Amino acid sequence: MMTPALKQNMPKPAIDSATGFLDRNSCFAKIAQLASLSTPDQPLTLIWISLDRFKQINQSFGHHGGDEVIVQIAQRLKNKTGPRVEWCRMSGDEFLCIALNYEDAEKLTDDLLHEIEAPLPLGDLLLHPSASLGMAQLSALEDPAECLERADRAMNTAKRAGGGRAITSGDEPLPGRMGVHLAHHELVVENKLHLALQQNALRLHYQPSVDADGRIISVEALMRCTGHDLSPAEFIPVAEKTGLIIKLGEWSLFEGAHFASRLARAGYSIPVSINVSRAQLATAHFSQALHSALLCSGVRPEQIELELTESLFMDNSMAIQENLRAAHRAGVNIAIDDFGTGYSCLANLKDIHAGKLKIDRAFVVALPEDKRALSVIRAIARLGDELGMQIVAEGVENQAQLDALKQAGIHTIQGYIHARPMPEESLLSWLANRKSL
Amino acid sequence: MTTGINLPSVETQLERSLWEIGIPPRPLILDQISTEMQKDEPDVHHLARMIAADVALSASLINITNSPYFGFRGHVNSPREALMVLGLNVTGKAIAGIIMRRAFPSSPHLERFWDASARIARLSGWLAQDVTHNKLRADDAYTFGLFRDCGIPILFARHAGYAQILNTANHDAMRSFTDVENDTLPTNHAMVGSMMAQNWWLPDETINAIRYHHHIEMLDATSIPPTLNSRYNIAVAQLAEHLLQLHSGLSVTQEWVKLGASCLRLLNLTEEDVRRLLIDAAPVIKSA
Repeated sequence: MMTPALKQNMPKPAIDSATGFLDRNSCFAKIAQLASLSTPDQPLTLIWISLDRFKQINQSFGHHGGDEVIVQIAQRLKNKTGPRVEWCRMSGDEFLCIALNYEDAEKLTDDLLHEIEAPLPLGDLLLHPSASLGMAQLSALEDPAECLERADRAMNTAKRAGGGRAITSGDEPLPGRMGVHLAHHELVVENKLHLALQQNALRLHYQPSVDADGRIISVEALMRCTGHDLSPAEFIPVAEKTGLIIKLGEWSLFEGAHFASRLARAGYSIPVSINVSRAQLATAHFSQALHSALLCSGVRPEQIELELTESLFMDNSMAIQENLRAAHRAGVNIAIDDFGTGYSCLANLKDIHAGKLKIDRAFVVALPEDKRALSVIRAIARLGDELGMQIVAEGVENQAQLDALKQAGIHTIQGYIHARPMPEESLLSWLANRKSL
Repeated sequence: MTTGINLPSVETQLERSLWEIGIPPRPLILDQISTEMQKDEPDVHHLARMIAADVALSASLINITNSPYFGFRGHVNSPREALMVLGLNVTGKAIAGIIMRRAFPSSPHLERFWDASARIARLSGWLAQDVTHNKLRADDAYTFGLFRDCGIPILFARHAGYAQILNTANHDAMRSFTDVENDTLPTNHAMVGSMMAQNWWLPDETINAIRYHHHIEMLDATSIPPTLNSRYNIAVAQLAEHLLQLHSGLSVTQEWVKLGASCLRLLNLTEEDVRRLLIDAAPVIKSA
């Protein structure tokens, strides 16, 4: 059935003179016409095609050269599909393919991409065009205009991913992403994150832990996205949901180990703590990634500390348990992160090869007023002492919290009261300043 | 003639240089290209000026662009023309390959390795055009050939006994190449290379192809879910290496014994096709 929105755009079918395709206005009428013939078995397929970097072609070869490219590509597309599909020119460098009764729409999309990417002669040169394609199929009861919008959105996703690819509406080709449903704001975060990664905007910032004598016990490496208005509280949960956290974690491990090596060469024998997620620890190649980081950076294993949440030590996954043993064998330090908030089995603590236990900031922010939180902290301090573990309190922001923690027997502190997480250069200056005091 | 100074061995020099530089950081020019790619109107002139300021990079980029095996017919004379013909994406990949090679200290020991990589890259580019029927782009195959084994020079510099491990892995016809490395290191050149590629934020397809290029499961796609592009890259580079070894008569690895059948199946080729390719590829193999 034709929708009112499409009907308004119906009349006056017009042909684009350069390509012989329908023009943009006529395309709406054609979609509406074919939508009425669409069936669940053979739904109407819309493929929105946008040529990549076409403006550069226009700039370099002039509009005449640009027109020639458009004409050649249009001709190829038409030849490839024959009379079975309708073609529209949506804008200077965008086409729409409208197909009905096509058995394999995804194959058609791939074929079109290959057709566009075949070398194209222009003067003495041979251009290698590329394009971003978005494909959508009309679902039952869907307004064809919505289907067109979905094809457009899929094309834009392909474009943002760097172009030269085809994306089916509803599909996401990113690693670990298939079948994961993301809310709209999470999709925005994910897109921003991918953009940031492509632009090398991910950085590690470092926050020191300081003991009662003012010695730096370790520095924790924390991921930050510079210049993309993206906080770790936003992007880390999305990365965990999509599986991208594995890639970020491996990068962090590699980068953190190299920083530890630079720190050692600068004369500071301070371990660098690196966070490891459950997904990363569950990979078959975790141990190889760890050894690669150690080998490539040349850092001694004891200069690296892996921070793992307490639930990982209780995890029944064989891969995780084997990787924990491999990390221990590699000689790196292990710290239990966010202790006190997850599901813990205290009996297992004695079997864990961890030298450090970090009290979750949730207990610290409640200080000094919350006496029950203080009781728990005091108990953790005693437990740590008994097991020979170093206890660190995270998220300490003010003197009152610091005093309460000291009273409870916690003397190693990480938090704004000493230093915020800072880039490598700032940390080195910070360390140098303390040395000179 | 003696200088009176104990000169360190080549290996020590190499090790020291790598120790000092660490793993090469991602080149700034790749950041610039990524930034421009996000713009509606990329400033190609600005990028061309940046590339042209580095004479050696500029020359290498022109050289690669004009190579028939990179997949672009025609002749370019400047970085700007190369950018126009290749586009930003492909230029980025070409530059990554060039800079990766330059990032390592020069050493006579590694020259043969780099020469072999360059030969595999050229032949892979040619094969992509001949046997994959546009399913794999020549520039993709070419740059993968350059990057595939970049973990080897790193491990050479970092592990004193790596030459011996490599020798054992080359001769083992049963276990996978990387399993042999894992037994001793305990990691492998494919993992190291992929982590370096990851550190440069190269495309996932490239990272995966580097990481799993000795995994038969990757070619057969029974357990790991790879993209077709990664699988074609792996198969084409293995075939290129096999043809080079057949041509030279020196079979120094057992990789084709272990992976050859899977590569041919994926590429839809027969042994007869391989014999034909060996003849057809002779000019490519002999080209500098």
